[in-house]
Amino acid sequence: MKWQVRYALQNILENLKEVSACHIDGEAIAIEVPGQAKAIAVISAADVINSELARQYHLEYQDMDFLCGYRKGCIWEGEAIKYLEGNGMGWGNAGALSSGISSGNLRGATHKDFLFSYRLISQVRSIKNLDREFDRVIRIKLASGADLRIGMIMEYEPTADVIRTFWDNFGPIDIAWNINPNGYPTQNAIAAADELGCRVMKWGELRKLL
Amino acid sequence: MNPYMTACEVAEYLLISCRSLREFQSYMFGSSLFGVGSDFDILVIGPSGEPLSRVKSELEMVGRELPLDILYMLPEEVIETKFFSKAKCIPLAELAKYMKTESLDIGMCLLSISSTN
Repeated sequence: MKWQVRYALQNILENLKEVSACHIDGEAIAIEVPGQAKAIAVISAADVINSELARQYHLEYQDMDFLCGYRKGCIWEGEAIKYLEGNGMGWGNAGALSSGISSGNLRGATHKDFLFSYRLISQVRSIKNLDREFDRVIRIKLASGADLRIGMIMEYEPTADVIRTFWDNFGPIDIAWNINPNGYPTQNAIAAADELGCRVMKWGELRKLL
Repeated sequence: MNPYMTACEVAEYLLISCRSLREFQSYMFGSSLFGVGSDFDILVIGPSGEPLSRVKSELEMVGRELPLDILYMLPEEVIETKFFSKAKCIPLAELAKYMKTESLDIGMCLLSISSTN
């Protein structure tokens, strides 16, 4: 059994009451909750999940309800998200898998880290076009005509390394949106963003800009 | 490597496998200390630049088959965020040491570490 499947099963069995889960084949597990239909989740150790990989998993596991990127740093490309959601499947990290099991809606579950912030910005009326390039990167076009590439930074208190690593992984952004409402970016993070040519913002500041 | 490791085993494994960690202070924090949660939260404190690139690259390699969530901080960022007062952090070296005792009590370990900080 692959390492990520073993950890996922352990996590489900230890933390979710009345849920039974077992390994089926390869990276797939079956999840059973009393009173609900059996569900299939595929636990991937990929660093990046693109549309090609999502299609491959779907082809291999045709009854897949949820695709889980178990690696903490797993990156989801926008096209993979569109493919999975378009085919009525859930996607996301281990937290999203647990939430989906608990709510009885694995097919509707999405990556927990970015769920609320993505929903929030999707509802801003001044945004005329929104393209989700990655799970945490969106490109928007405002009614004013301005284009912005925004990165969603989930860390509680973003550090200089978080900002630099984000830039290295996803390319230039205009705004590093610190989506965790509780913490604040460090002074070194703000300085790193300045050096790179972007700004770190909390929602209040970003909302005014939009 | 055992694919199913406890917090203490992970600490020992990282210290043995990642030589660059010796240039940094390293801790584990969060729910993984108590055997819950889906990953191991690791805090690495030290310089930026080449040493940071080195330790990141090494940890990425040795942690390929572990659910690690690693936070890298500069020493001044730890002070600015008051990280130690917000999160219970145990040095990896202490965790590895406790692994060698017959019965591990993380609660006692936390008390022991916090009394020395």
